[in-house]
Amino acid sequence: MDWTVISRNIDFLLGGLVVTFQLAVISLAGGIFFGVLLGLARISSRKYISCPATLYIHFFRSQPLILVIFWFYFFVPILFGKPMSAFISAIIGFIAFETAYFAEIIRGGIQSISKGQMQAAYATGMKHHQVMRYIVLPQALKNMLPSLMTQSIVLFQDTSLAYVIGLQEFLRRTSLVDSREVKSIELYLFSALVYLVICLTMSLFVRRFENKVHQGV
Amino acid sequence: MIEIKNVSLWLGDDFQVLKNVSTRFQKGRTTVICGPSGSGKSSLLRCINRLERFQKGEIIVDGLSVRDPKTDIYKLRKNVGMVFQHFDLYPHMTALDNITLAPQKVRCLSRQTAESKALQLLERVGIMDKANSFPAQLSGGQQQRVAIARSLAMEPKIMLFDEPTSALDPEMIGEVLDVMIDLALEGMTMIVVTHEMGFAKKVAQEIIFMDHGEIVEAKNTSDFFNHPDHPRTRDFLNRILSHV
Repeated sequence: MDWTVISRNIDFLLGGLVVTFQLAVISLAGGIFFGVLLGLARISSRKYISCPATLYIHFFRSQPLILVIFWFYFFVPILFGKPMSAFISAIIGFIAFETAYFAEIIRGGIQSISKGQMQAAYATGMKHHQVMRYIVLPQALKNMLPSLMTQSIVLFQDTSLAYVIGLQEFLRRTSLVDSREVKSIELYLFSALVYLVICLTMSLFVRRFENKVHQGV
Repeated sequence: MIEIKNVSLWLGDDFQVLKNVSTRFQKGRTTVICGPSGSGKSSLLRCINRLERFQKGEIIVDGLSVRDPKTDIYKLRKNVGMVFQHFDLYPHMTALDNITLAPQKVRCLSRQTAESKALQLLERVGIMDKANSFPAQLSGGQQQRVAIARSLAMEPKIMLFDEPTSALDPEMIGEVLDVMIDLALEGMTMIVVTHEMGFAKKVAQEIIFMDHGEIVEAKNTSDFFNHPDHPRTRDFLNRILSHV
């Protein structure tokens, strides 16, 4: 075992980790934002809004993520009429995919809020968007924080799939170093350790948060 | 003030909850609606502010048609307060915030104005010290009084009460009824679905008895208790009053 391969390439590898984090954070923000909109659309009483939303969710939830990434890699340049970086097309692919999952979490959270409160709010003359914004969403988002965080951890791990379109995120850079130095065991053990530490920290955080949510209210 | 004309309501395809109901409620009067459970009393109440959409007939509230799609239903609801059986306070907000939300968002009052108004209302319902408590920290009776204050904060012309004391422990019923009695004596137009016959005798001018989605009997209070016409009314009164 030669662990110096790690220290010799640490800057290059950590640079990849930065890309991984950028990918995860931007996709997460986009996924939650569009997920809220799509989740609301999914439970709309208007068929012309709920039907396309439902279709979208079913479609993306039945596709393997790796296919979606490939697909957007080839599709995005056509859509915009010019070549796009792997980073941009990966981001768009991840957001499109994660939106479907977040929408389902958000739909569940919204439906967990009692109808009575909504009716009480309507009875005071509030409009639908006000009832959602001030009554339903604040409580629903709090209830679904644990599921949102779990999905975020999954998303963090899934960013490694952007490797297939040549994006130099953490795992891709690990394999690049490996092809140069041929130290597979050390390098892949190291990357496993990095994912373990990050994801474990995140899940411990989620669990503490879950306890807090259960104690409160 | 409120006119109900031949209203029919179906839930689902073949379950008719209201059958051709007609009545009117006058300004400044308190009407009690009673009847066995499932008789359509709550549904009738919920049709008045379109929480329930009825399929046939017409309801006119203060000159506005409830059924007409062109009616600004939000404007109509501003004038019609409603209090529910299970209080339905917003659990993530303090009592004060529960009361000030709609005045700020619907009537566009400043936070300051809404809060000073809310504190007056909390004083009126006797729980000024609970302004900063969350619903979970309040007893049922206190929650219902906050809910009444929340409705009153919109300065409605009409108040609807849907079994406001049915979910309360017996020792808390009195404190809620006291607030409602004060309100009725001040001349609020009130429609109250309740089984509290003591309350009905004390403040209601008129009592409506419903059964199987129909109005069986509608009379002024003393006639209702002393000379009920319909055998179903007599039967209901016997059962409900035998425990008093």
